[in-house]
Amino acid sequence: MLSRRILLLSAVAAATCLHVPSIAFAVEVKARSFIQDLADTAMNTVAVKDLSDAERALRFRNLFVNTFDLPEISKLVLGRYWRPPTTAEQRGEFQKLFEDIQVYTWTRRFKEYSGETLDIFGVEPDASGDSLVVSQIRRHNLAPINVSWRVRKDGETFRVVDIIVEGASMIVTYRSDYSGVLSSQGGKLDSLLAVMRQKADQLKAGS
Amino acid sequence: MPRSVVARFAAPLFAIALLAGCATPPPADDKEAMMEWDQNNDPLEPMNRAIFDFNQAVDKALLKPVAQGYGAIMPQYGKDRVRDFIRNLRAPVVFFNDVLQGQPDRAMQTLMRFAFNTGFGIAGLIDVAEPGGIPYHDEDFGQTFAVWGIGEGPYLVLPILGPSNPRDGVGIATEWLVDPFNLYMDHIDRSWPVWTRAGVSGLEKRERLLAPLDEIERSSLDYYSALRSTYRQNRNAEVKNALNPTGLR
Repeated sequence: MLSRRILLLSAVAAATCLHVPSIAFAVEVKARSFIQDLADTAMNTVAVKDLSDAERALRFRNLFVNTFDLPEISKLVLGRYWRPPTTAEQRGEFQKLFEDIQVYTWTRRFKEYSGETLDIFGVEPDASGDSLVVSQIRRHNLAPINVSWRVRKDGETFRVVDIIVEGASMIVTYRSDYSGVLSSQGGKLDSLLAVMRQKADQLKAGS
Repeated sequence: MPRSVVARFAAPLFAIALLAGCATPPPADDKEAMMEWDQNNDPLEPMNRAIFDFNQAVDKALLKPVAQGYGAIMPQYGKDRVRDFIRNLRAPVVFFNDVLQGQPDRAMQTLMRFAFNTGFGIAGLIDVAEPGGIPYHDEDFGQTFAVWGIGEGPYLVLPILGPSNPRDGVGIATEWLVDPFNLYMDHIDRSWPVWTRAGVSGLEKRERLLAPLDEIERSSLDYYSALRSTYRQNRNAEVKNALNPTGLR
């Protein structure tokens, strides 16, 4: 009786041992193809020539809100200012302005697109349970740029939570940037929102 | 000669530090504000911001326009030759640091590159080693000190040189003092090659950083904070030699 139970247990243990790596492997493969698809879609829809600025911005915005985890990114960028006394409206406003700033920043980058390609080297599991897709942007005549994409499983697909460019995380950099503004404005979130609004308008005009 | 330059820079820096004073840390009971303070690692922020503003003014008036001019006039082939030559001239320093960091493989790479490029690449003008399968990598004394376990210390903006910290600043001074090229020129009593080289490598570096720095300035609200964060993260990755995706498992 006992030996049968042990046998059963070891069979289950063996099965899980065999199973876990294959699940992890499947996640890695999917994370990789998610980033590859994201890059391909961006190349084929946003980076194409002869688009009006408005159309390009619209196309990027659609791609961006569907593939990036904006609520999570906003929360991480705002850090301690995300919690009360910050109101839900202020959070919503922050997320909207952050989205706008990203959209106009990236729209201009894609407008200047000149044949860069994305080379994916592999996928590393991350301490937080996310996956890190390690890649390089290859450029004509210039040194490649090291870019890692932190992606998080979201149902059947993934969402980008962070981009790490040459070792610098987008979230860490923005958090430091925005908290610099907040501390110079006496920690008033509305002042930060006003500066962000100004930035978004400025980027929109120049995109 | 190189020694006197270090001394000449140190004195005014110290004077500015005294004048500008330190930032006030948040009250100790505000834990999150304290964490932010620690994370920014910038107790000398008022002084740093003053030097940063000075650097920005010099950059806008002089360095950036010159780098833009160089970028526009010099054809890509010429830029590559300048870059290769400057890199090759630094190879002894890189080699020395590879050794001090206990990296014999990387030291051997640097040594082979120096031999090939100096011999077959017309005194280093053409990097023949890279296409031959020995890729370039950079090292400096700041990174070596970090590998030895020396912390970065508080964030420091150096006049003209920009974002740094005491560890990397001492690294820059050390390099200036032990670089064989500088030592030799000092020995034969010629200072113009040292200054010309410093000028050209600074120009080459500024030209390479034109687009990345513009990007950071354009997308940030507070350029100073964004640059500080980017510098410290990037430097940390360099120390760990983490910017080499081929090292991936």
